[in-house]
Amino acid sequence: MSRDRFTFIVGGKAGEGIKKAGSSAANFFASMGRHVFQMDDYPSLIRGGHNFVAVSTATREITSHFMKADLVVGLDKRSYEAHRDHVADGGVVVYNSDAVEDGQGIGVAMTSEAQKYPNPGLRVGVSGAAALSAVIGLSVDEMSAFITKEYKRDLENNIPFATDIYRAVGEKAGGKFPLDKGDRERIMMTGNQAIALGAAAAGLDVYLAYPMTPATTVLHYLAAHDRELGVVTMQPESELAVINMALGAAAAGARTAVGTSGGGFALMEEAISLAGMAEVPILTILSARSGPSTGVPTYTEQGDLRFALSPGHGEFARTLASPGTVREAYTLAAELLELAWRFQSPAVLLTEKHLSESRMTLDLDIEDAAWAEPLMHEGGGYKRYLDTEDGVSPLLFPPSDELIQWTSYEHDELGVTTEDAAAIALMHDKRQRKSEAVTDHLRTMRTVNRFGQGDTIIFTYGSTTMSVLEALRVGGIDATVVQPVYLEPFPVWELEEYRDSNAIVVEQSAAGQFESLLAEKARIDAGARIRRYDGRPFEPEELAREIERAAG
Amino acid sequence: MPDELATYAENTWCPGCGNFAILNAMKNVVGKLGERGVAKDRVVMTAGIGCHAKLFDYLALSGFYSLHGRSMATAQGIKLANPDLKVVGFCGDGDAFAEGIAHMMYAAKRNSDITIVVHDNGVYALTTGQRGPTSAHGFKGPSTPRGNTEDPFNPLVLMLEAGATFVARGYVVMVKELADLIVAGVMHEGFSFIQVLQPSVTFTNRYEEYNRTVERLEEPASTFDEALALARETDRLPAGIFYQIEKPANERALYGDWNPVANHPTRTERLAKVKALIK
Repeated sequence: MSRDRFTFIVGGKAGEGIKKAGSSAANFFASMGRHVFQMDDYPSLIRGGHNFVAVSTATREITSHFMKADLVVGLDKRSYEAHRDHVADGGVVVYNSDAVEDGQGIGVAMTSEAQKYPNPGLRVGVSGAAALSAVIGLSVDEMSAFITKEYKRDLENNIPFATDIYRAVGEKAGGKFPLDKGDRERIMMTGNQAIALGAAAAGLDVYLAYPMTPATTVLHYLAAHDRELGVVTMQPESELAVINMALGAAAAGARTAVGTSGGGFALMEEAISLAGMAEVPILTILSARSGPSTGVPTYTEQGDLRFALSPGHGEFARTLASPGTVREAYTLAAELLELAWRFQSPAVLLTEKHLSESRMTLDLDIEDAAWAEPLMHEGGGYKRYLDTEDGVSPLLFPPSDELIQWTSYEHDELGVTTEDAAAIALMHDKRQRKSEAVTDHLRTMRTVNRFGQGDTIIFTYGSTTMSVLEALRVGGIDATVVQPVYLEPFPVWELEEYRDSNAIVVEQSAAGQFESLLAEKARIDAGARIRRYDGRPFEPEELAREIERAAG
Repeated sequence: MPDELATYAENTWCPGCGNFAILNAMKNVVGKLGERGVAKDRVVMTAGIGCHAKLFDYLALSGFYSLHGRSMATAQGIKLANPDLKVVGFCGDGDAFAEGIAHMMYAAKRNSDITIVVHDNGVYALTTGQRGPTSAHGFKGPSTPRGNTEDPFNPLVLMLEAGATFVARGYVVMVKELADLIVAGVMHEGFSFIQVLQPSVTFTNRYEEYNRTVERLEEPASTFDEALALARETDRLPAGIFYQIEKPANERALYGDWNPVANHPTRTERLAKVKALIK
């Protein structure tokens, strides 16, 4: 039976090649022209534990993985036990019979088979691609081509091993779920790749970061491609060094960004305030994990919203926005770097592990990216903090005959420290006018996304948007989804019509931070709420049922 | 002759403060660097927070008046963005060896091509006289009324151990020599550390002691161990270049002849690179 939607879950110990098995399957589906969503679930360790990847694919747009799989492949006992209930009606479970006695499904002696070849520990992960190939009805040649493309190395062992597994699975479930080809092949990337590319497309020159999951792969991606892109990357000694070096780099004229998670962002706050006072353009990528504190490093949550709305002490213009999809991560990273430079102030891109590290197919127009181009001073008589109508003073970078002084102290227009009452008030007024200018500018931009039609109004934001949209698709639910992309300044001008909408608010927060923000800023009182805060992203079928219940 | 490096800011250092000498030395440094082909517009400065940092307002050079303990991080960022600039970072001893000690150790470790001048007065003067990282054991201040229970850091030893490729000590009474040290530090390719003995006349007036113990060091030590031994001397305090070696600076090691600011692409160029990457 051909299924429009197909889900593959592969699980095992860290180090067994689970991520590779998942991403290989995702790549294969994408190569068929299908839409794909890949979610990696892994603990904070390097060896052992339990990893799994859920890959869902469809011939129509898909914005979430599902947790009811048509094919579950468990490489060890723990993954069999964890996922045997995650099989859809009529689905297939392939388990490692060397590790599990009396399993339900198709037992294959993966470990013993792997021991016929060198490096059996590395080999066993190839079982995922082999079992998948059998179940979707590939020929041995097609499977070999798939493995060759994805695994590239050690093919003289990988292909015979895979063929053994393929035959064992094929006897019981060969060709059970043939998959239709999709309309055309799309690129596939993670949210963090999209953020890195979007910032690069906007003119990024320097990226600095201290490793912290789930933001780290932005650094990895840019470091791997620094020379191809012309972006300098560096890993300094701490988040304090990261942000302060970044402000120095920006003040010298380099389009600069930094990336971290909640704990690192907390360390950066003093310098975010410095960026407000000194009027330094800086983009920060804040990718949230389950918190507070060290929390659950490799799992997702939207618990940092209130924190991200107002980083740093004192009064200055802050800009915060959160992308709803991987595609939007690209355009928004570019847009926020542009805004940081337009207004010479800190901009923060808030996202979550679920978007940062999930991978999906997308239609991406590379040209659809803003370009960060600051207002530059010309001629003599330079004043770094020239008092202007919109509070934005033209920039100038050394080397220059002009004196260019950036400062953390309250200052006069030239940047010289002041304690004069009138001068203090003048600069506060200048910064306030700049805050207003940011809001005025956002009024000319698209700051809120709306999806679908229906009397039921659902408010959500960030990566949860993807879960909600998939829930509506799978549940066949008519609803209007409202997703504020910008969270500070909050686009209240777009939201007045929803004041009495009895909206359902969906978010990954125990305290309901987004719901309270809607009430405080836009005076929208939620009629119902759906929250998840166990570190896992919403599952679309479960969420659909919750939405139906909430809608009454 | 008008002082082109002066500003209109009111000078609020105590009369006799060692910071005046550092300010004057810097004015000479700018001229001397010009003679060596480094024009004034290529010299930028950063400062931390404290009495030392007021120099930023009194000296007409471009730069960034940073946060307490972050002057050397800001300086490294400027250098990373535009390696054609010569960056001099001013720090107090609290900036360098309390709040910002990790940045100091790492700037030395990675051999970032900046020059750090530490105004070492052994006290937190601007906050009214608390003990600092180089205050002596027993030092009495408002936060340690019964005396400092900690021993002081030896900044030169720390910087040598961390890998600094230019380590020097100056003394504010020797202004001409101090200017020469800063010039040598700026011209050195790599991390240059200059400790400046800078008495605070109000809190740590050690002029008399320093006048007795500071001795001119004519030439750098020939080995690392010899430099360490010199740095550990306490009866006499050598002033001059302790140690200088050649080693690739971090910026050059990272990206060779690239210059992030000068090589900033056009939009068309950059989009072409992004497209090529995701192909």
